[in-house]
Amino acid sequence: MLIRIRRGWEIPESRVTPEAIATNRRAVLGLAAAGLAAAPPALGQTRDAGAPAEGSPLPPAMRNPRYRVERAITPEHEATTFNNYYEFGSHKSIYRAAQRLPMRPWTVKVEGMVEQPREFGIDDLIAAMPIEERVYRLRCVEAWSMVVPWTGFRLSALLDRVRPLSSARYVRFETAAVPEVMPGLRQSWYPWPYIEGCTIEEAANELAFLVVGAYGRPLPPQNGGPLRVHFPWKYGFKSGKSLVRITLTDRRPKSFWETVQGNEYGFWANVNPEVPHPRWSQATERVLGTGERIPTRIFNGYGEFVAHLYVNLQNERLWA
Amino acid sequence: MNASGRSARRPGGAAGTAAIALGIAFLLLAVLPAGLLGPSAPLGEAIYRLHPPFLNTFQAGVQRHLAPWLWDDVLLPVLLLPGWLPFAAIGLLLVALGGARRRQRRAAAR
Repeated sequence: MLIRIRRGWEIPESRVTPEAIATNRRAVLGLAAAGLAAAPPALGQTRDAGAPAEGSPLPPAMRNPRYRVERAITPEHEATTFNNYYEFGSHKSIYRAAQRLPMRPWTVKVEGMVEQPREFGIDDLIAAMPIEERVYRLRCVEAWSMVVPWTGFRLSALLDRVRPLSSARYVRFETAAVPEVMPGLRQSWYPWPYIEGCTIEEAANELAFLVVGAYGRPLPPQNGGPLRVHFPWKYGFKSGKSLVRITLTDRRPKSFWETVQGNEYGFWANVNPEVPHPRWSQATERVLGTGERIPTRIFNGYGEFVAHLYVNLQNERLWA
Repeated sequence: MNASGRSARRPGGAAGTAAIALGIAFLLLAVLPAGLLGPSAPLGEAIYRLHPPFLNTFQAGVQRHLAPWLWDDVLLPVLLLPGWLPFAAIGLLLVALGGARRRQRRAAAR
C-alpha cells in the first residue's frame, strides 16, 4: 500500500480557492480599484483605510500552485489592519496614518553593481514583469503570523533586467522616507531611511518575491505598497516596505534594526523556533485572525527551498 | 531652643538644601548633551546616543499598551526639545524651590 506523507507546504486540493472564484473576485475588486485610481488623493489627504489601495488595477495573476500553505488564508481585514511600519508609529493600527502615503507617481531605482542601472515607474514595472500570485506565510519576529495571497514577481526577474556584476554580493533595499506623512521620521536620531538587505544568493532564490498586490488588489500602503520585498523564510522585518531603491553592492548592508538594536535584530534573521528572541520565545506563533497559537517551524516551513543557502554559514548568527 | 540651647533643625531646611544641590546637579547635567551634541541637538538624540534601544522599547510600550497619542502628542514633543532644556528647566525649578524653602525657614526662625 502506498502511504503518502504530505510535505509541510502541501494542502488538500479541496482547501484551495477555485481559480474561477479567485479571478472573478479580482476582476470585481480591480474595477473598484480602477474607480479609486481615477481620483488619487493629494499629499496629506487621507484615504479610507478600508478602501482599495491607490494605483492601477493589477493585471490578471494566476496563483502559483507550487507555493501552498497548510493554513487558511488570513482574512483580508486582519492582514491590512494589524501592521508594523515604524515610519508611521510603533503601534499596530498604523493603517490609518499610512493612508496618507502618496503611492503615485512612484519610481524605484535599481542600481549599484549592475551593468544597466535603471529607474522604473511602478506601473511600467508591473506591466513588464511576469505577475503571479503566491500564498506565503509571514512570520513576524514578535511571534505572530499570517497567511497572505501576494501578487508580484520574483526578485530575480527584476535583477535580471539590470544584469548584476559578478562582484555584487549583496542587495540593499531602501524604503521611502516622506517626512510630510511619516511621523516617525520626526525622530531624527534614528538611522532613516529604513534599510534592509540580503545576499545575492538569497535574492536569487525562487521564494524571494517582490510584491505589488495582496488579495487581488494593489498593495495597500500599510502592507508596504506600492512595492515591497518578501522573504517568507525570514522574520517579517527583513521584508522592506514601500521600496524606492534597490542597490547591488559588495558590502553587507547594515540594516535599520541592526543599527538600532543589533543584538535583537540581525542581518540574517531566519525563522527558528529553537532560538529565542532575547526577550521572548520563538517556539510558537499567534495566528492572526483566529488567535490560535501554533508551533513555529524552522525557516517558517520553507526549509526545503532555502536551507542549502546556509550550509557553509554556521559561524554566522543566522537566527536573529 | 532645646535643652542644650541649640536651635532644633527643621526638616524643611534640609529639604531646601537638598533641592538646591539636586538642582545644581541637573544644571550641570544640562551642559553634557549641549557640550557633546551641540546646543540644538534634541533630547531624544542624547538618549539614543547613550542607549540606542531604549527609546524604541519605550515607544512600543507606550503606543501599544497605553495610547498612541501619548507618544505622538506628549512624549515626542519633549524628546524633540533641545537636550539641555529639560535638564536646565528641572534644575532651575529645583534651585528656585530649594531657595524658597530656605527663605521660609529663615523667616520662621527669626
